[in-house]
Amino acid sequence: MEHSLKLTPFFLLGCVLIISLLVGLLTRRHDQGGYGVQVHSIGHAKIGAAIASNWMSAASFLGIAGVFFLNGYFAFAYILGWTGGYVLLLVLMGSQIRRFGKYTAPDFVEARYNSSVARVCSAVIAIIISLIYCVAQYKGIGLVFAWMFGIDYTQALFLGTVVTLLFLMTAGALKVSRNQQMHYLILILSFVIPLMVIAKKLGYNWLFPQFSYGSALRDLPADISSTYLFPWTFGTPYEWIALCFTLMVGTAGLPHVLSRFYTVPNNRDARWGVVWGLFFIGLLYWSAPAFGAFARSWLATSGTELDPATAQALADIIVIKTAEWVGLNEILVSVLAIGGILAAISTITGLLVTGAGAISYDIYYRLINPRANERHLLLVAKGALLVLALLVLVIAVNPPGMIAQITAVAFALAGNTLFPVFLLGIWWDRTNKYGAIAGMLVGTVITFAPILFGHLLPTLRAILPPTSSALIGAPVVILTMIVVSRLTPPPPESLRRFLVEKVHSP
Amino acid sequence: MPQPDGQAQPSREELRINFFRPRAGFMRKEVRIIWFTLAAWAIMTFGMPIHMALTHSDPVRTMTEVPYVFGIPAYFWFSGQFLILWFIFLCFVFNVLIDWLTSSYRRRR
Repeated sequence: MEHSLKLTPFFLLGCVLIISLLVGLLTRRHDQGGYGVQVHSIGHAKIGAAIASNWMSAASFLGIAGVFFLNGYFAFAYILGWTGGYVLLLVLMGSQIRRFGKYTAPDFVEARYNSSVARVCSAVIAIIISLIYCVAQYKGIGLVFAWMFGIDYTQALFLGTVVTLLFLMTAGALKVSRNQQMHYLILILSFVIPLMVIAKKLGYNWLFPQFSYGSALRDLPADISSTYLFPWTFGTPYEWIALCFTLMVGTAGLPHVLSRFYTVPNNRDARWGVVWGLFFIGLLYWSAPAFGAFARSWLATSGTELDPATAQALADIIVIKTAEWVGLNEILVSVLAIGGILAAISTITGLLVTGAGAISYDIYYRLINPRANERHLLLVAKGALLVLALLVLVIAVNPPGMIAQITAVAFALAGNTLFPVFLLGIWWDRTNKYGAIAGMLVGTVITFAPILFGHLLPTLRAILPPTSSALIGAPVVILTMIVVSRLTPPPPESLRRFLVEKVHSP
Repeated sequence: MPQPDGQAQPSREELRINFFRPRAGFMRKEVRIIWFTLAAWAIMTFGMPIHMALTHSDPVRTMTEVPYVFGIPAYFWFSGQFLILWFIFLCFVFNVLIDWLTSSYRRRR
């Protein structure tokens, strides 16, 4: 990497941040009105764009292309896990959780299981999920900033944290809520337009690079081509299926995905919003592998050899590197880089604010100081936000894996804990607080045991890969919850009546 | 369905919610739709990798043996492109069915 400040992306980034603050300020009053009472079919598309913009993080924007660049077909486990999960969410619990009427994971858990211990467990899990998720986003910001400013990764991380916090504070102080549809539009255009130009430069069909990357893969020398096209070069069928399944149940159990179901006026609109949301997310995922494929194509035609370590180091910014390699206009390269940063910053701000809220309300107020007033709580939340941001920074200095892999661990935790708690809470009236608490504890152990003890017990790591532990973990947790619930007293009748009459009625 | 004249004490059966033994009426039909969608989701998502794992083990031979679509092996196109469309289609069908079920039960009430 050259060590110099790249001016174009730097100025563009500054402009984009200022413009987004200004747009937020100007549309502030308009935004607070929320959705009108009647939502037409165009409204469903709007809801879908909001779902997609909430979903798109550095893992989607930078991570997937990187995994595809390194591991070819294996990356489809990520793509399918992160789209198929929405089917699971919609089909199994979208409507029911909405009818239940609780907006956050801890709220649902306390109301359903009638236990503040279960509430605290779920709050702590939700905070850990946010932390892990943020580490991946920080890595993305660090890499892009390092590229942009020509500084090393650690310095870039600090700079990125400062920029994120500044953005968070100004946006917070100005009470700016961002326009989700606009955000989605900016992200998807800044991803697809440079990709089209890359395809054109390499001589492939530029109108649909989502299809023409296949030809680019086939044009590679036969041995390289079959490496990336063949499904089991970089992982066994078990690893592929376990990863895909883990990401699916994780998606269905992810707190910030679930709460999306409440920002729309009614159940039916929320359901139809998912169809559009999936389409909008699909646009990104259809395109992402193309970056990896075109990067391989360029390397092969230009005769450039990358040793494995360099390839690994470049993978997470391969989206930007590909654009640079094929000689894309500097502005287009910058647009890609800024898209990645925006995706990461918006995800981080959302997750940190939610995490800080959980600390101040679910833990501090509910557990430590029930007499705290609102101003006091706000102060705690602000402090918690700063602590969380610094904690993430410390972990991100030595990132434990690729962006997509780190994110996958957060999904594994959600799939091993919150998914079973939601699923059984909705679909089995007999599930009680003891079952839920036992389930969350077992799920947490299953998620972290292979990470903490994997080096001592290689078999454990093979059976429960850190990114993919929920294929075995989720069923084990569900079984634990059933057994423990059976052995302990049933939940109160009033709650079961509520489930029958409110949650499971048309 | 809760009885409109719900004065009497409900039996245990009346408060039962179990995905594998859904109550007659709305819930049973809803669960049927869910099973149908889940089956279509699972078979398509995991069927292809399982099929590929059972039938193909050699990278180079696989490339010459498998059928091609749009210039890439069909299974590759299926996983990378088609399945996302399939998921969207499944959500669409599920919503249509649930809309129909909900409105028919609301009218009956």
